[in-house]
Amino acid sequence: MHNPSPLTPYPATVTKIVDETGDVKTFTVEFDDPQVMEDFGNKPGQVAQLSVFGEGEATISITSAPTRGKFLEFSVRRVGRLTNVLHQIEVGQKIGVRGPYGNWFPYEMMKGKDLFFVGGGIALAPIRSLIDFALSDQYRKDFGKVEILYGARSYLDLCFKHDLFERWPNCPNTKVYTTLDRPEEGWDGHVGFVPNYVEEVNPSPNNKVAIICGPPIMIKFTLAVMEKLKFADEQIITTLEMRMKCGIGKCGRCNIGSKYVCIDGPVFNLAQLKELPPEY
Amino acid sequence: MDSRVVNKGQLPELLDKLARDYILVAPVREEETVTLFKQVSGANEVQLDYTNSDVSPKGCLFPQTEKTISYTYTGDTLEMKETDDSPKTAIFGVRPCDIKAILALDPVFEGKFLDKYYLEKRENTVIIGLSCTTILSTCFCTAFNSGPCDGKGADLMFTELGDKYYVEINTEKGKDLVEAYGQYFGKEDIDKLAKAKEEQAKKLEGQFRRKVDLEGVKQVLDENFELPYWDKVFRKCLGCGICTYVCPTCHCFDIFDFVTGEVTGDRFRCWDSCMFPEFTLMAGGHNPRPSQKERVRNRFMHKLKYHLDRYNLDGCVGCGRCISKCPVNIDITQIIKDLKEVGQNA
Amino acid sequence: MDVIQQLREQAKKLLEEKKVEMVIGFGEGTELARTTPIFIKSPEEVSDLTWGPFCANNLVKYLIDYRNLPGKVAVVVKGCDSRSVNRLLEDNQIDREKVIVLGVPCPGQLDWHIVAAAVDPAANLKGFSDDGESFTINTDAGDYKFDKKETMLHKCLVCENPNPVVSDITIGKGQTVRNYEDRFAEVKTLEQLGTNERSAFWDKQFDRCLRCYACRNVCTVCTCRLCVFDQMQPAWVSKRNNLSENTAFHLIRAFHVAGRCVDCGECDRVCPVDIPLRKLNQKILKDLGDLFDTPTPGSEAGLASPLGEFTTGDPEEFN
Repeated sequence: MHNPSPLTPYPATVTKIVDETGDVKTFTVEFDDPQVMEDFGNKPGQVAQLSVFGEGEATISITSAPTRGKFLEFSVRRVGRLTNVLHQIEVGQKIGVRGPYGNWFPYEMMKGKDLFFVGGGIALAPIRSLIDFALSDQYRKDFGKVEILYGARSYLDLCFKHDLFERWPNCPNTKVYTTLDRPEEGWDGHVGFVPNYVEEVNPSPNNKVAIICGPPIMIKFTLAVMEKLKFADEQIITTLEMRMKCGIGKCGRCNIGSKYVCIDGPVFNLAQLKELPPEY
Repeated sequence: MDSRVVNKGQLPELLDKLARDYILVAPVREEETVTLFKQVSGANEVQLDYTNSDVSPKGCLFPQTEKTISYTYTGDTLEMKETDDSPKTAIFGVRPCDIKAILALDPVFEGKFLDKYYLEKRENTVIIGLSCTTILSTCFCTAFNSGPCDGKGADLMFTELGDKYYVEINTEKGKDLVEAYGQYFGKEDIDKLAKAKEEQAKKLEGQFRRKVDLEGVKQVLDENFELPYWDKVFRKCLGCGICTYVCPTCHCFDIFDFVTGEVTGDRFRCWDSCMFPEFTLMAGGHNPRPSQKERVRNRFMHKLKYHLDRYNLDGCVGCGRCISKCPVNIDITQIIKDLKEVGQNA
Repeated sequence: MDVIQQLREQAKKLLEEKKVEMVIGFGEGTELARTTPIFIKSPEEVSDLTWGPFCANNLVKYLIDYRNLPGKVAVVVKGCDSRSVNRLLEDNQIDREKVIVLGVPCPGQLDWHIVAAAVDPAANLKGFSDDGESFTINTDAGDYKFDKKETMLHKCLVCENPNPVVSDITIGKGQTVRNYEDRFAEVKTLEQLGTNERSAFWDKQFDRCLRCYACRNVCTVCTCRLCVFDQMQPAWVSKRNNLSENTAFHLIRAFHVAGRCVDCGECDRVCPVDIPLRKLNQKILKDLGDLFDTPTPGSEAGLASPLGEFTTGDPEEFN
C-alpha cells in the first residue's frame, strides 16, 4: 500500500573516503540501484539520513552539488556514537541513505547576483553544495562573482583543503579568503576570527547574497557584522543544525516554534530566522 | 447521516462476532483500577463501566514500540524488509475526545511523506465511538468545540440511552460494518432515540467542572515567546514522560536499532517525550532546550499553538488525562487560564 | 488551619529576614483534594502555602535542583519526606548548612482519586478537620467524611514516622505512629506465592509499564547525573517497550536504590498505570531488615546504607 515507507533507507556503497582533518571525513556514497540516484533529485542545501544499521541513523547535510555527478558526498565529524562508527567504515562497505530532506538554498532568487559565502570549521560542508552548484559548468553563467570566506581553528582543522587552495581559486570570477584563528608556523595566510575577517574584507551588499554557516557563536557575530555592512535580512541566508530523527516532519524532535527544521528548514534567511523563537 | 439502534442486551454478542472477524480492541480493566485499550477475544473481557482509559487508544495506530525494518547486513549486500502489520482492526469504545485526537494525529502522519505504518493501520481500522455518560472533574472537551456525545470522526458512534444504543453511521466503513452485522442494527424508535441523544448531550455539557475559555490565549503565545510566566510553571516539573505518554495527541518518537545477530537486526520506533532532557540534545553537547523551563514552555506552546499553526487543528482535545496523571499537578487548564490573564494584563 | 497559619508565618519570617532564598512548600492544587509544589521567593507569596491531608508529594527531591543557589532553601516535609532529607545528607547530595527543614507532623494523606470520586465535581475546598479515625473535608457543596483506613494512601496506614525525624522548625502537634496492619503484610502475601505465580504477577504489572520514568524522576535517592537508562554508549537497556526491557528497568532500579530507599512511596503514587512499585522496594527493605537488622534508611541521622558499609558481624552465607 504505502511501499516503500519514507523511513526505509536505500542501500548504498561507500566508494571513497577523504580524511579532511583529524576528526572529519568526507564519504562519497553511491546507491546500489542507479535508478535511486536518478530519482533522488537533491538540491543544494538539502540533507539526508545516513544509516549504519545496528547503530542507528544520523542527519548529515549533502555537501556535494547535484551537478558534480551521480554520487553523494557527506562530510561527517566524529562527535558521537554513530559518527564514531561511521568513521571506522571502509571503502566498499554498505550503508543506508534516505532523503533528500529539508528545503534548499533559494538559488533561483540568487541568480544574477554575487555570492558571498562565509563558513567556519566543518560548517563549510552544507554550503559547499551551493558553492559547487554555482561554480558548475551548467550554472556558472547564472551567478555573478563568487567569494568564499572560510576559517578554522588551525590548519589541520581546515576542511576541503583541495577545494580551498586548488579547485576553487581556479574557477572563473572566484575568490577564496582563508583564515586561521591563531598564528601558526608555516601559515602565511590571514590570521583572525571569521567575523572579523568578514569586516576586513568589507563586502558591499550591492546585488549580493550572503550565505553563512558555522558554529552558533560564529553565526551570531557574523550576522552582526553583515547587518553592520548594511546587508538586508533577506540577503542573508543561513542553514541551521538541529537534532533530527525522522527527517520527514513527524517525530516532533526538530521543531523551532511551529516550524520543523527537517521540512521548513534547514535553510532560512535572516528575516525568517528572526520570526522563529530563539530556540536553536 | 444514517443511524440505527442496537439493543444493549445484544451488544456482547455483536462484540463476540467482531472479535472473531477483526482484531477487536476495547477497554479492559486491570488490577481493579487501570483501564487500558487492549485486544480482546470476546465481550466478557470488555469493561464498559469506565469513564475513560488511563492511556489513550492512540497506541492502536501508533504503538508504543513498533518494528519498522528488519535488516540483514553483510559486506556485499544490505537487505531491508519493512514490517507489514496492519490487520483488520476494530476499536470499540473510543470517547469523543480520543476520536478528535485521532483526527488531530492524521495530518501529522500524512503530508508530503506518507507514514506507511500509521496510515495502513488507520485504513484498516474501524473506529467505533462511545458517547460519555459521566463527566470527570478533569474533563474539558467542550473547550475545543467538542462534547461528550460528539461522534464526528468515528466510523460509528454509539450512545447509550437506557437499554438501547443509538448508533450514528458516519462513514462508508461504518456503513459496511452495519451491513455485515445487520441483524444487530435495527431502527425501532429511532427518532425518539435521536432526540434523547441530543438531550443527553445537553445534560452532560452542563456537568463540566472546568470552564475553560481559550479566547485570546493563542494570541498571547503568537506574540510572546519569552514570558516571565514560564519561570514559575516549570519548577515543579519532574521531567518524566507521563503527560506525553497518556496524551492522545502526542506523537513524538525516537528511532533506534536493535542488533539480533552478527549481521542482522531490527529498526524500531518508540514513543519519546519532549520533556526528557536528552530529547533535543545534539551530539557535541549543544541542547537548544537546556532546562525544564524551555521544555515545559515548548510542550504547552505545541499543544496550544504550534499544532494549530501547522495543521489548523487543536493540539489538545480536553481529555484531562495529563491533569489526572501529572504527579505534581501541572494543569493545562490552569495554564490556559493564566495565559489568558497575561494577555489581559498586557 | 492553625498549622497553615504558622507555616505561612514561619516562611514569611525566613524570607523577610533573608535567612532563606526560597521556600519549597505545598500550594493549592487544581483538584479538590490536591496540592502542588510551589517555590516561593518573596514574603508576599507565603499566602500561597497550604497544608492538609492532600499533600502527598515529597518535595525533598527539589532540593537537589536548588543546591547551588547561593542562599539557603527551606522545604516543608512530612514524616516520610524527612527521611529523604537524612538520606540525601548521608549521600552528600545536599549540605545541611544550606537547608532549613520545616517539619510538619502528618495526620496521614488522602488518595485524591477516592475523594474526587465521592465529592461533587463542582465543589470547592473550604477546609478540613482531623477527627481521629476520619477526615472531614468541608466544601461549598457540603461536608464529606472519609474514614482514614478506607481512603488514606496505603503507606499512611503503616506509617512509622508521622513526625519528621529531622526538622529545624516543627509546626503543628505531634502525631501518633500508625499501624493499621503489619507494615510488610502485602510483601508477605507475595512471598507466599510460588516462583511461577510471583513471576506471573510481576509480568502482568511490568507489561503495563510505559517507561515514562516518573518513578525514577520522583525518587529522592535517584540522583545520578547520567542515569544508566539514559545512557546510549553503551545502551544497557534498550528503549524498546516490552516485558523483558521493562522488567530489567524496574528490577535494576530497585537494586540501585536498595539500602537507600526511604520508603516514601512516591514511586508507587506517581505511576500512571498503577504498578505497585512500593512492593518491590518494601521487599528489599524487609530483607535488609532481616539480614542486617537496620531501620528504614533515613529514619535516623547518620545512618549509613547497609549496602554501603560492612561490619564483621554481617551474615555470610557462602561459608
